[in-house]
Amino acid sequence: MRLPYKLTPQPARFCTQYADGDPAVPAALYTVHSTAPDLTGFPLPLPSRKQDYTCFVQIGDVTWYGATSGLTRYEPAAARKDQIIQFFAAERDLQDNCVLALLPDGDSLWVRTETGVTHIEMRPVGAEEKAMILLHESQTIVDRWGMYSQKYLAVPRDLSSRFPYGHSDNDGGFTAAFAVGEMFRYAVMHREKGANHPDTVEARRVATRACEACLLLMHIHGRGDGFVARTYMCAEEPVPENGVYFRLHGDKAVCLDTPATRERGSFLKMYGDDLRSDTSGGHDICWSGMEIDASAPIPERLMRCITDTGHTREGIFYKADTSSDEITLHFLQMRIAHEILGPDDPELDEIIKDSAKALMRHIISHGYELCDATGEPTTWAKWSERYFATEMGYVDACLNAAEVLSYHKIVMYITGERGEWQESYDYLLSRGYADLATKHFDRMQQMALNDGIHPVEDIMYGDHMLAVVSFWMLCTLENDPALLEKYKTGFRSWRNSLEREYDPGYDLPYAIATGDEIDMDRMAEWLYRMNISRLAAGVSTMKRHDTPVRMHLGGNKEISWLLPNDERFISKYDRNPFDYKDVDSGGTICVESCYIYTYAYWMGRYYGFFE
Amino acid sequence: MQNQYQIHFVGNAHLDPIWLWRWQEGCGEVLQTFRSAIDRLKEFDDFIFTCSSAAYYDWVEQIDPELFSEIRDMVKKGRWVPVGGWWVQPDCNMPSGESFARHALYSQLYYFKKFGRICKTGYNVDSFGHCGNLPQLLTNSGMRTYVMMRPGMHENPDIPEKLFWWDGVDGSRVLTYRLSDGYGHTGTQNIAYELDKIGAMLPEKQHDLMLFGGVGNHGGGPTRGDLAFLAHRMEEKKDEALVFSSPDAYFERICGGYLDVPHWQGELQHHASGCYSATSLVKQLNRRAENRLAAAEMWDTVSAAVCGTEPSTEALAEAWRDVCFNQFHDILCGCSIVEAYEDVKNSAGHAITIADRIENAAQLRLISRINTWLDGINEPVTLLRHHCRKDNFPRPVVVFNPHGFAVRCPVRTNYPSSAVKDCAGKDVIFQNVRSSRSNDSHLDTLFIADVPALGYAVYWLSWMQDADVTADCFRAVEKEYGTDVRAGKYFLENEHIRAEFDEATGTICSLITKADGYDLAAGGRLAVPTVIDDHTTDTWAHNVFKFETVKGEMTLESLELVEYGPARAVIRTRHRFGESHLTQDFILSSGAKALRVKCRAIWQEPFTMLKSTFGLTGTDAINTYEIPGAFIKRPTNGEEEPMIGWADLTLTGTDGARHGLAVLTDSKYSCDCPGNTLRPTLLRNVIFADHYSNRPAADFRYTDEGMQLFEYAILPHAGEAETTDAPQEAAVLCRRPNVVPAGYHKGALPQMQSFLTVTEPNISVTAFKKCEDGSGDFILRAYETAGRSVGRVGFVCDLADAGFWADFHAHEVKTFRIGREGFVTETDFLEGIIQ
Repeated sequence: MRLPYKLTPQPARFCTQYADGDPAVPAALYTVHSTAPDLTGFPLPLPSRKQDYTCFVQIGDVTWYGATSGLTRYEPAAARKDQIIQFFAAERDLQDNCVLALLPDGDSLWVRTETGVTHIEMRPVGAEEKAMILLHESQTIVDRWGMYSQKYLAVPRDLSSRFPYGHSDNDGGFTAAFAVGEMFRYAVMHREKGANHPDTVEARRVATRACEACLLLMHIHGRGDGFVARTYMCAEEPVPENGVYFRLHGDKAVCLDTPATRERGSFLKMYGDDLRSDTSGGHDICWSGMEIDASAPIPERLMRCITDTGHTREGIFYKADTSSDEITLHFLQMRIAHEILGPDDPELDEIIKDSAKALMRHIISHGYELCDATGEPTTWAKWSERYFATEMGYVDACLNAAEVLSYHKIVMYITGERGEWQESYDYLLSRGYADLATKHFDRMQQMALNDGIHPVEDIMYGDHMLAVVSFWMLCTLENDPALLEKYKTGFRSWRNSLEREYDPGYDLPYAIATGDEIDMDRMAEWLYRMNISRLAAGVSTMKRHDTPVRMHLGGNKEISWLLPNDERFISKYDRNPFDYKDVDSGGTICVESCYIYTYAYWMGRYYGFFE
Repeated sequence: MQNQYQIHFVGNAHLDPIWLWRWQEGCGEVLQTFRSAIDRLKEFDDFIFTCSSAAYYDWVEQIDPELFSEIRDMVKKGRWVPVGGWWVQPDCNMPSGESFARHALYSQLYYFKKFGRICKTGYNVDSFGHCGNLPQLLTNSGMRTYVMMRPGMHENPDIPEKLFWWDGVDGSRVLTYRLSDGYGHTGTQNIAYELDKIGAMLPEKQHDLMLFGGVGNHGGGPTRGDLAFLAHRMEEKKDEALVFSSPDAYFERICGGYLDVPHWQGELQHHASGCYSATSLVKQLNRRAENRLAAAEMWDTVSAAVCGTEPSTEALAEAWRDVCFNQFHDILCGCSIVEAYEDVKNSAGHAITIADRIENAAQLRLISRINTWLDGINEPVTLLRHHCRKDNFPRPVVVFNPHGFAVRCPVRTNYPSSAVKDCAGKDVIFQNVRSSRSNDSHLDTLFIADVPALGYAVYWLSWMQDADVTADCFRAVEKEYGTDVRAGKYFLENEHIRAEFDEATGTICSLITKADGYDLAAGGRLAVPTVIDDHTTDTWAHNVFKFETVKGEMTLESLELVEYGPARAVIRTRHRFGESHLTQDFILSSGAKALRVKCRAIWQEPFTMLKSTFGLTGTDAINTYEIPGAFIKRPTNGEEEPMIGWADLTLTGTDGARHGLAVLTDSKYSCDCPGNTLRPTLLRNVIFADHYSNRPAADFRYTDEGMQLFEYAILPHAGEAETTDAPQEAAVLCRRPNVVPAGYHKGALPQMQSFLTVTEPNISVTAFKKCEDGSGDFILRAYETAGRSVGRVGFVCDLADAGFWADFHAHEVKTFRIGREGFVTETDFLEGIIQ
C-alpha cells in the first residue's frame, strides 16, 4: 500500500515591484556599498557567470548574490536539493536583470536593479494554501462565464488592464480540467470536513458551476445532435478574425463570414454577378453564411451560466470545428462529475448521462467523426479509419484510437448501459484499435526518421494530457485482462515522453492506471516550486550560465534540465518545458488558469498520493 | 501488376582486416576490394556499393590516393555508400561505452571531412552479439538505423527476423534490420535462390526487404557475373521490383510508407559465447589501453588549462584509433590467428605508451606548479630527495585521481617510510610492504590515500632510516592509526567485511557484510577455482552457450597470511590442477568495501576454462552485468554471458532480505551463473582461430597458455546490485590513482585540488577532453550508472569557467561541450562539430 507523501509548507516567492524613488523603498538601498563576492571554489553551478556577480548579502543561513544577469539565492542547508540554489530574473521576479545593490529587510530583501526596485519575500506557503491562492486569482481574473482558460492584458503585468472578454480555442478542454480539479477538491473537503462544512459547500459550488459550463458547450448550439462547441462568446464581443463561428438568432444559427469559413467553402454561399471570374470576395460578390437549425432545448440550469450575468442566448456566437482534444477532456470531466457530483445531484447526473450519450451517438453515427453543420468532419475530431489512412491521420491514429475507445468505456460506465456502446466498442476492437493504441511512438519514431529530426522534436506536448486521460480512463474502466494489459502497454509506451515533464498531472494518473512507481519527491517539487500567480510576466531560459542548451537535428533548441516551475515560463499542459525561450507561452500579456496546479494537487489529495 | 514492395540488393564485401591473416594482408585485401568495387561501379550504371569501417578508407587514402579520389566521386554521386560510422565493425559487447564514443568521433569526423557526410546507418553485420545499450551508442553516433546479423535465427529465433524496432536499456531506439540470410551471397544460382526466398517473404512482411551480396570475409564484393545476372533479372522480372540499393536508401524508403514492425527490448545475443573469454591477452590490453587513454586525456586537458600547454589531441586520437582497430570483432574476441596477436600487442603497446607519455608529462607539469616548498630546504630543486633524506625532511608524493568522484584507496610508492602525513599534517594509515626489487630495503610504502574528484593530493612520507628497516610488513596493528584491519591465519576483516578461509580448500567459507551481519557464504563456498572441460568447442564456442562440464576443483597446496598491517592484510593461497598453478593474494585494505584478489596463474591445461565460482544460497536470483555504458539484468540460466567490469548475483537470502555479491575484474569479460552460482571466467585454453575445424594433427598454439596475471575483486552487498558501488569500485580497480614523487618547490597550486565536481554519485565521468575541432572548447562526457533517473546533477569545472546542471534518465549518456566563458551545449559523440 502506498503511503501518502506529506507535503509541508515551502518558501514561495513574493516579489513586489517599486519604481525608483517610491517612498516605500528604503534610502539605504541607494547608498549601500556593494562588493563582488569571491566565488572561487563555489561548490555548485551558479545561474550567472561568476565574473558577473557584483554584490551579495547574508541573511541568516541564506546568501543572496546579485549579478548583472539576475539574482541568486543560496541556502546551503536547505531541506530540499532544488532549493539550495534559486534564480530570480526579470521580468517575473525583477524589473531587469542588472542587479546594482542588495539590502536586507529582516528575512526579506530589497533589490535595486537598473530600472527599479523589487522587494522579495520568501514566505512559507502550504500546498493547499497555494491552490486556494491560485484559485482565487483565476476566479477573480480568468473566469469567463464559468470557463477558465486565460485572460489577456492590455499592458504587460498590469492586471487592471485585462480585457473584459477574450476566449481560448480550447475553453472546453481547459475548463474541463479545471472542473475535474475542483471536483476532487470537493470530494476531499467532503471526506475530511463533512458535507456541510462551508469549505465543502463552496467547493461543491465551484465544481458544479465548472461542470455546468462544460456541459453547456454540448448544448449551446441548439443542434440537438450531440455536437460540442469549442467555446462561445456573447453578443457584444468582437468576432475573432478567424475560425468557424455560428451566431444564434432565435431557433436558427448562421455561420459567420471569416477566412476560415470561406476557405472551407461549404459554410457559406456566394451571391453575385459573375462567380466564375471573381471568387475573391470582391464588391460584386456577397457571402452568406449557411443557416442551420438551433432549436434544440438547452437544460435551464446550464443556461444559468449565461443568464445569471444578465445575458441571453440571443446573439451568442459559438465556435464550431471542435477538436478531439476537447472531446477527450469533456468525457473525463463527465466521468469524474458522475462519480463525485452525481450521487448528490441526480438532475446534473441525468444531464451528464444524456450529454455523454448524445455525443457518443454523434461520433458513432458519423463514422467515428465529429461533424460540423455541413456534415463534414471537423478538422481535428476524427477517429475513423478513413482519417487514419491519410498522411496526417497516420500519425494521429494511435492516440485517437485510445481516445475513442475511452469514450465508449466512459459512456458505458456513466450510463450503466451496454447495447449500442458495447457493440461499437467491439467493432473498434475488431478493427485493431486496441493494438493501434500501443503504437504511437513507433510512428513518431518513423516520422522523425523520415523527417531527419530527433524524436523529441516531434512531441506534441498537448498530446501528453490527452494520452494520460485516455489511458487512465481505459485502464481503470476495462475489466478484460488482455485488453487491460494492452492499455497498460499503451500507457507505458508514453512513459519516457511523460517523464520529461515530471508533472503530477500526468504521473499520478499513470501510477493509478499502471501501478508503476513514480518519483513522489519530484511530484512534490513540482508543487512546491509552482508560482503563486499564473501571471505570465516573462522569464528567460536563455543565457543562463548553469543551463546547457541542446540543439536538435531539426534545429530546435532545448535546455538540458527541467527548470523548476518558478524559474521557467508559465504555460498550460501543452508546452515543451525544455523550450529554449525568453517569454511565457502566452507572452507577457496574459494570466493563465490555475488548473495546471489545482487539477494535479487535488487529484493527488483525492487519490491519497499527498497529505 | 507491379509488386509494391521492393527487394533491395545491397552490394558489399565483408572485409576482416585481421582474422586468419595478419593486418598487412587485410590491408591489401581492402585495396583490392575497393579497386574492384570501383570497376564494377563503372561497368554497371545502377549498381551501388556499400562499405563500412573508416579504418579501411584511411588505409586507401594513404596508400592509393587516386583510388580514394575515385571513391570520393562515387560517394558524391550516391553510388558508393559509406555505412557504419565506426572505425571498424567492433565487437559490440566488450569495448567500453567511451570506446564506442571514440569509434564514432574519429570515424564520423573522418567521413565528414573526406566525403562531406556522415554515416546514417549503423552496420555490424558480422559482430557476434550486440549489447543492450547499443541503440543509445548508435544514436549518439549519429545513426538511428542499424544492420546486424548475429545471432542467427538458429541461435536466437526470438529476435524478430528482418525489420524491427530495437529499444535499448535507456529507451533509445534504432530501426534495425536483421540479416537472417547472410551478408555475402554470390553466384547466380545462390542469388536466384535467395531472391526467390526473400520474394516469398514480402507478402508476410508487408514491407521492402534487403538482400546482401558480394564475395566476403577476405573481401571481394559483387562479381561481374553476379551483377550481370542481377541486371538481367531486373529487366526480365520487372514485377519482382528488384533494385540495386543501399541500407540508407532502404531505410529511407521504409520510413516513407506504412510501417508496422515488431519490437525488441534489450540485447541481441548469443552467437559465439566463447569469444568473451578467449585470448585473455587482447582483452587485458584493451581494458588497459581504454583506461590509460581516458586518464591520460583527462590530465592532458587539465594540464593544458592550468599550464597553458597545447593539448595532445592528435596524439590521443592516433592512440584511440589503434584501440578502436583492435576492437574489431575477430581481434578482440580472441579468435584470430596467434601471429595476429603479436601485431595487436605492438599496436596496443603503442597506444598505451602514448597514453603513459602524455599522462606523465601532464602530471609532472602540474606537480611543478604545486607548492611543495618546505622551510629549511636550501638546495636547488634538482638536488632533492637524496639530500633531504639525511636531513630528515619528508618527501612529497602526489596522488592523482582520474575519476569524477573522490577516491579513498591504497596506493603504493617506492621505498619504505616511517610515517605518512596528508597535506594538512594528519597521520595517514600506511604500512611498508615487500617491493618487487631485490636490492636496497626490499620495501615500498603503501598508504591509504584520499583524493578529490579529478584531482590530486600531496602526501608527505618520512624516510625510514636503514637501521629501522626490518620485516616491517608484518608490523602489528598500531592503535595510533585507528585502523580497522584485522587478520588471522584464516581470516581477514575490516569495517565493512569479514572473510574466513577454509583450511582444507583455500576457498572462502564465510563472507560477512558487517552492515547487516549476513554471511553470503553460508551453505556454500566462494572463490572456488574450478576447471571446466572445453574440449568440444572451437575458439568461438560455436553452438555452445553453456559450459557445464566440470573437470574438477583445483587442489589447495598452501594457505598463509603473508601480510598484516594497518593498511592491509593479505592471505595467499596456492592451488594446483594437473600441471597448472594458481596463486591468489586475497587483499583486504583499510576501509575497503571489496576484497581484492591478485592472481598469478601458470596455465597449461589444453581445452579448459578456469572459473572462480561463488555459490550463494537463496531464492529469486538475478544477474546484473556491466555492459558498455550501462548495465543489464539477466536470468541465472547458466548461459555464458559477456560483461565488462563487473558481474553480480543478487538473491533473497535465508533471512528474507536481498543480498548479493559482485565480482569486479581488471581484464575479464565473461561470466555465467547456473542457478545461484556466479562463475566469472578467468582463463580459457583453446586452439587459436579454431573455426569449426576437425583439428588435424599439428603443433597448435593455445590461448591463455603460460603465465597469466590478472586481478579481480569480491564486493559483497545488501540490496540490489544497482544500489551498490560496483561501478565505482570496478572503475578504480581498472583505473587506479597513481603516485608521482615530487620535488620541493614553490608554486601557485595548493597541495590538494579538485578540477571537477559532480554532485551525484551515480553519474560517472568517462571523458574530459578538448574538442577535436581545435576550438579550445572542453568536452565532458558522463553517464548514469544506477539505472535510475536523476534530476539536477551539478557539474562544476572552474578550469573551464563552467558550472551547469543536467538531468539524466536511467543509463543515459550525455556529452557536454563547454565553450567560451563557460557556456555549455549538450551535444553527442560528434562534439557538435557537424551541424
